[in-house]
Amino acid sequence: MNLRAAVRLSLELLLAAAAAWALSGSAADDLLAPEQAFRFSAKLIEPGLIEVRYRIADGYYMYRDKFRFTASPQSAGLGEARFPPGKITDDEFFGRVETYRGELVIRLPVKSSGPITLKAVSQGCADVGVCYIPVTQTARLVRPQLSGSSAKSESDGADQLLRRNAPASQ
Amino acid sequence: MTGTGRTLVLVVAAVSALAAGYWFHPGHTGRAPDSGNLGGIMAASLPDMEGKPQAMAQWRGKVLVVNFWATWCKPCLEEIPEFVRMQQKFGPQGLQFVGIAIDTPAKVREFAAKYRMNYPVLIGEMEAIELARTAGNALGGLPFTVILDRQGRLIRTELGGLNERKLTPIIQPSLKAVNGA
Repeated sequence: MNLRAAVRLSLELLLAAAAAWALSGSAADDLLAPEQAFRFSAKLIEPGLIEVRYRIADGYYMYRDKFRFTASPQSAGLGEARFPPGKITDDEFFGRVETYRGELVIRLPVKSSGPITLKAVSQGCADVGVCYIPVTQTARLVRPQLSGSSAKSESDGADQLLRRNAPASQ
Repeated sequence: MTGTGRTLVLVVAAVSALAAGYWFHPGHTGRAPDSGNLGGIMAASLPDMEGKPQAMAQWRGKVLVVNFWATWCKPCLEEIPEFVRMQQKFGPQGLQFVGIAIDTPAKVREFAAKYRMNYPVLIGEMEAIELARTAGNALGGLPFTVILDRQGRLIRTELGGLNERKLTPIIQPSLKAVNGA
């Protein structure tokens, strides 16, 4: 092998090593931001009923007992949240816990028929062994969904009547 | 392209890749040691479990493992027995764990007693979250650990669980450098 070929080979090896190094590290380095891991949306599906939806990314989960919903104005009269059954496990630290994966739909009764701002606090973790601090996300709910509504469409098209604010970390 | 040209391209590519590797490598936060952000940790003061303010600066001169955690965070709880054991083992050589709990004092006191935590635990909410963020924890994930040498310079930050096997080689060179190097 001549000198030039040797130099090239070592440079190529160096390049490969540098690339491998840049890509190495624990799985925690590829973590999603909480608002991507737990995609939140909410809409009024009929007068007096809010549907809150979380699309939970693969490899992530949410705790049932960490959800908190509040509405403003307070006179909106938010009722008790109705959760679907989650996965119940007996945790060595927490005892009996209920968690959700995939898609989670929570229903919230509401008295008001006027526009309200829904504030949702949630908390979840990634399977790689990282938990997020509680996240607050808000949605402005204007009126129940009607066909032929003139409301502006959201980017995902489905929740036309929802104006979702940028999720804000608590 | 000539052979020399190709070699030059490879040199540039390799150097760029190394630079990219250096900057994006997880163990490297892209900041010079002792930057303002880390000054932030050493300059911070947070209440302990009794509500008494504790300045981080009091531990300067020790190899510091600052662990952000919470009692509601399972991976955080899993690593704490390891930290208790390591504090016992390496404490005499100058290793100091400091827990910063994003939690309520009552819950932290209960857990600390149950798990016989043998190192100080400070408590904070927004301030602690902000402190972790400025130290490089952009996502607000826990556990998050910042390891500083005896001069308060950053050795490493780690998002996710640590254990004795992972942490020992990180702290050992600094423990040996008694007078700082």
